[in-house]
Amino acid sequence: MSDHISGPRAIADPVIDITDVYAFPCPESPQHLVLIMNVFPYAGPSALFSDAVIYRLRVRSVSIAPEGRSFAVAADESIFDFTFSGPQLVQEGRCMLPNGDVVTFRVNEENGASVRGLQVFAGQRSDPFFLDGPMAERTIATRQLAFKEVGSDRLYGKNVLGIALRIEWTTLLKGGPMFAVVGETLSAGKRPVRLERVGRPEIKNITLSAKIFDTVNRDLEIRDIYNEEDAFSLFKHYVGAYRARFNANLAFFDTLDGKVDWPLDEHGNHPLTELLLSDFLVVDVSKPFSETSYFEIELALLEGRAHATCGGRWLNEDLVDTLLTLYVNAGKGPRIRDGVDAPIAWSSKAFPYMAPPNRPGGSQS
Amino acid sequence: MMNERPLTDGKIALLNLNAQIDALEPEVRRGYASVEMRVGLVELISLHGQIVGRIADYERAEEIAEQLVSDAPTDPRTLLARARMHAVFHRFSDALADLDRAERLSLDAETANGERAAIFQALGRYDESLALREQAAQRRESFETLAALVGLHSERGEIEAAERQYEQSCRRYRGVSPIPLALLDFQLGLMWMDEGRLEEARSSFEAAQRRVPAYAQARGHLAEVEAQMGAVDSAISRLYSLAVFSDDPDYAAQLASMLQKAGRDEQYQHWRWQAASRYDQLIARRPEAFADHAAEFWLAAGADPDKAVRLARMNLEVRNTPRARALLAQAIAAKVS
Repeated sequence: MSDHISGPRAIADPVIDITDVYAFPCPESPQHLVLIMNVFPYAGPSALFSDAVIYRLRVRSVSIAPEGRSFAVAADESIFDFTFSGPQLVQEGRCMLPNGDVVTFRVNEENGASVRGLQVFAGQRSDPFFLDGPMAERTIATRQLAFKEVGSDRLYGKNVLGIALRIEWTTLLKGGPMFAVVGETLSAGKRPVRLERVGRPEIKNITLSAKIFDTVNRDLEIRDIYNEEDAFSLFKHYVGAYRARFNANLAFFDTLDGKVDWPLDEHGNHPLTELLLSDFLVVDVSKPFSETSYFEIELALLEGRAHATCGGRWLNEDLVDTLLTLYVNAGKGPRIRDGVDAPIAWSSKAFPYMAPPNRPGGSQS
Repeated sequence: MMNERPLTDGKIALLNLNAQIDALEPEVRRGYASVEMRVGLVELISLHGQIVGRIADYERAEEIAEQLVSDAPTDPRTLLARARMHAVFHRFSDALADLDRAERLSLDAETANGERAAIFQALGRYDESLALREQAAQRRESFETLAALVGLHSERGEIEAAERQYEQSCRRYRGVSPIPLALLDFQLGLMWMDEGRLEEARSSFEAAQRRVPAYAQARGHLAEVEAQMGAVDSAISRLYSLAVFSDDPDYAAQLASMLQKAGRDEQYQHWRWQAASRYDQLIARRPEAFADHAAEFWLAAGADPDKAVRLARMNLEVRNTPRARALLAQAIAAKVS
């Protein structure tokens, strides 16, 4: 599952568990960037945001590094911090903008709140992510692609707590038009402690969770340590452990079609490892909205060409098929399908984008 | 209590626990849930039962666990889930047998030993429990491994060790859920109560209840401490809602006992009858699980020492702990007098 249930700490408390982060140019107005962060997998009707957690979206300007093989991330950062009230009939939210201004809103109010250049929503929505999780697990366990023509989606009809932010990027963000985006949950208080972070989808689960291929740290549950990291500045003492896990697991995925599409370098590094270690979404708002542009900017970088799309990540993209195809055959072979092609309800191109919550038991309300 | 870092409001934490259960339960009922989801639901419902003091929750969790083992008998996770529920209902031999089977089916030794340590503790096999708990804490000093030592040292009356481990475990807590800390405060409260240090006990139970206001056991024990400290009216008002809403007769029993001491005979008779009939039902269905508390009731507000002796003996057969021995001795003394 994308980033659902991604480590022991997230399992223990779903209110801190980020399920997905999305970033895309607003389909209706290209001067706006849309950022979405979902938390609380399998949220039942009574689920509320924690009043002890900061739900943070971090945005930095990013460009292609001069050597053309990696991203150069700016030091300046725009932070959007969401906090929520304690229990009351209608939970209230606050969004602190990079300039210190605060926007208040009511949770679950469909249009959220708007101020100049910004619209914000938080509340329960249908989980937009879809995949056949059990077959992804079986693929790893059996070391063979286990997906069926028609898969089974355990997230079908489930809800999350979603945060949607639509921002006029020229006025509210520094730099651009290409941005790196990360979502985080942190404990509130004088010294916030990072609890979870998410950039790209399926990094911690499909990509990093399997231990059996990693000959360096065969018994290490790496995800909680990974979650604590600053995506823009990894702790140097742990990078080796992450790199070893990426190399081992990506090499495994490459074996699944019986041929090598991603030859390792002389140090055993997989060509995707360094890019994935820079675990943030990259979105270019100077390009028009696209429904299927996830990882295109990164691939262009690897191939040494200019990117053609906005990259980022749109809500309805069949991400798992894209990812499997990338990992298994580098896009040089047939598209690898997990047999699940849609969620219970598609997201719309109008604010707050994600479909309304499902009824308990999994039907659209 | 220490660890005043920001924690989710206890009411939100309980609503979110309900939200998790409400989302998973329909999947399980319709047969759509994976083993992992069903195991998760067993844990969530069991935790809910522990917080709100509802035996029906434990019974539902047990039902799911039994079905899980029936559906996936070679999956160690299902046996682990059932072992936990056996332990909740004091079927310790069955729990240990499930753990052995789970381990043969590749359940990792760390998890299996953690569960065994809890069972050994409940059985009064403290040295074996301590060896496993210390081994786990030496391997990895986490909130969970240190908190487990708090419970064990508390039960053994090892105050210094319990306090030290309490501080260390709180320091290592990285989450924002108030529930694990409330459970830990409660453990410490029990120790202070056993030691007769009522001020400290009250402080621990208050901390647990402040973190999670719906925590029934903390509220019940707080009432008991208050009553012992002379604040009987406050204790009675605390217990009323618990006795009315909980299906656990402990609260009706406690309330009856306090009403009796307060000379409110008519109300005492009502709650005594409520507790007695409920204990009789539970003893008929699950004697080993409720023998200890039922014996305590018949020894106090129930006023039937013969029944208390019979149940205290049964309890001692299930687990030979210092508490069980003391209960039987008390019951025999009451019968003789």
